[in-house]
Amino acid sequence: MKMTRHTFLSALTCLSLALTPVPALATVDESHDYAMEAATSFVEQGFIVREDYWNGEVKSGQKLMISHQLFKGNEYAFWLGSVNDNVELDLKVYDEKGHAIQIDSKSGNHALSIRVNPQKTGTYKIVFSLKSKKEKSVMWALAYGYR
Amino acid sequence: MSYSIFPFPRLALFVAGTLLSSSALAAPQGTQGVQEFDPLAFPGQVVDDVVVPVPSEVFSVLDKLGEPNWRHEIRELNVPNTSDRTQLALLFGHVVAEGFVAVQAEDKEAVKEAGKDVISISTALGLTKAVRPHAQAILDAADKNDWKAIRKEFDQTQKTVKDTMEEMKDIDLSQCVSLGGWLRGTASVTSVVGKNFSADRAELLNQPMLVEHFLNAIGKMPKNTQEHDLLRSIRKGLSSVLEKMESAVDGFSKGAVSDISKTCETLLTEILVKK
Repeated sequence: MKMTRHTFLSALTCLSLALTPVPALATVDESHDYAMEAATSFVEQGFIVREDYWNGEVKSGQKLMISHQLFKGNEYAFWLGSVNDNVELDLKVYDEKGHAIQIDSKSGNHALSIRVNPQKTGTYKIVFSLKSKKEKSVMWALAYGYR
Repeated sequence: MSYSIFPFPRLALFVAGTLLSSSALAAPQGTQGVQEFDPLAFPGQVVDDVVVPVPSEVFSVLDKLGEPNWRHEIRELNVPNTSDRTQLALLFGHVVAEGFVAVQAEDKEAVKEAGKDVISISTALGLTKAVRPHAQAILDAADKNDWKAIRKEFDQTQKTVKDTMEEMKDIDLSQCVSLGGWLRGTASVTSVVGKNFSADRAELLNQPMLVEHFLNAIGKMPKNTQEHDLLRSIRKGLSSVLEKMESAVDGFSKGAVSDISKTCETLLTEILVKK
């Protein structure tokens, strides 16, 4: 079969689409996968991971805030994941007086983990951001666990 | 300054208040090493989505503070036969929370009962296909006394049901699932705290943000849903619970714990009555 200019261009387009890097096909759930990967070592230490989580897409560098209920007596871990490459992740947890209370922070290529030991039962503010040098918007997922 | 907002179904993002300089997040002078934060002057976006804790998050603290007799907290539920979807959603959350109590008590038979109730309510809701694998996993794990796996499956079951409801644009029903679970979890907590009162145990009831969240959720439902008998009672009950929580500035009294307990118990009884 003779290849026309049209079919050649179509084939070329298909090939280039197939070779396009992942971001166009990436989903927020892949960000959750990275968060869960970061959670693995915590699970080994007895943390119970919640199935519910937050996720979305945000402008690079934009700060986000979540209100969340924590209970004194539990130790919590939060895992922020992003499917995007080379993203600078930042996450802090503040008590009702506005004091940052996270006690440990570990950062990897696609995820950040922090631990929190709340001194009071009540509402806490989780403030985080994801900064990319290449992308205008970044996908994210935030999960947590307790023990 | 422009904000790009992304329309994800599970998220409601909105720009918080007036935009202030990013210095609102910086430590003020003279408090080096202490990070301070004023949520009212937050310069970013607020994620208006609340993850409601599962009962076992609170139960685990109660376990650390003593050894509650969880078997005494298990209830034998007579799940009514109803086609009222609001009631079914509340019942679903109730039954899952009952499952968490059974896991805490490590009572295999009670876990299985909860698993069977999960199947029957999900069938009535038309969600059997989504729920059955989890319910089966609960029953299998109960045979192996694998409490960790059961806890995970109850959490997963609730999430699956809520996600499915949200996909079907039944967000109100999804809120009712969380609400039913919260009421049952809180009833257990108040019961345990009431039997062995201490300020530390009672502090676990400091959850005004969650109560406000439920009140707001009901307030956003369509008028005819808000007028549902159960939701009208729940709204009234939650308002009184919120009042108790907000007035517990110096901690909860035994009387306040008892009042919250009575409110939750009354609402749960109503949820279990056949419509």
